[in-house]
Amino acid sequence: MSAQEKYQSLLELANQNGTTYELTEGDNGTLVITGTAPSAEAKQALWDEYDRLDPDYKSGDLILNITTGDAAGGGANTYTVESGDSLSKIGGKYGIAWKAIWDANRDILHDPDKIYPGQELKIPI
Amino acid sequence: MKVKFLTVLTIAIALFISACGKSDADLTKAVNDKLAADKVTGVTVAVKDGVATLTGEVADQAVKAKAETSAKAVEGIKSVTNSLTLKPLPAATPSAPDPALTGKINESLKKAGCTTATVTVTNGKVTVSGEVPAAKYAECVQAVMQSGITGIDNQLKKGK
Repeated sequence: MSAQEKYQSLLELANQNGTTYELTEGDNGTLVITGTAPSAEAKQALWDEYDRLDPDYKSGDLILNITTGDAAGGGANTYTVESGDSLSKIGGKYGIAWKAIWDANRDILHDPDKIYPGQELKIPI
Repeated sequence: MKVKFLTVLTIAIALFISACGKSDADLTKAVNDKLAADKVTGVTVAVKDGVATLTGEVADQAVKAKAETSAKAVEGIKSVTNSLTLKPLPAATPSAPDPALTGKINESLKKAGCTTATVTVTNGKVTVSGEVPAAKYAECVQAVMQSGITGIDNQLKKGK
């Protein structure tokens, strides 16, 4: 049974609850669903269906990447500065140069040596 | 007189019944109309003796199933042979090179409060291991999957 057949009811649920999605094929035939749900409830319903079809999401045959339209801020491409961080240290976590982070955050940073815990930095990846 | 009346009535009923049976051409049109109404596209319909055969290439499995359901719902269709094929999927691409993806996933895990999970990334495929509180488990898996990855080996354990 293909991944699409296995997760047919999940795709049908997405169509019903107004989630827009695109399908791609990942590693070894993994089904990758990338989409946007109209609400947190709609997204949760999809994850509940995923859990029902594949308990604890263990099979590795589906990547469910659903965001809700209102997920502004706190996205995956931001980093929250911690005590002891520097731009080069943060760059190291992502494999990018400190200057790339500096350039992406000129609007909120004034000095590359002065960043503060709790600041949200955009990560240009 | 009475016999003549019965004969006429019998013929009339016989004509009425035969007129009711829809031709395959009518059924084909009815199925096409139903598919259009249900917004299913890319399907070619052929009806023979009340059996509808669906061919063509559709976007995904949900559309394939919907086309069959729609065709079955048409009055006069006895059965449906679903020969629809699925459009080949484009290859997924990781949202960032491995080191950047690792950083992104770690930050997502941190924000979700899943700091005890560990990840390694190879060509966009992620192996996630470690143990997280059972109540956090789903959230931690979501954090990993929402980072733009193309494969996963989920070794994460539910702890207390």
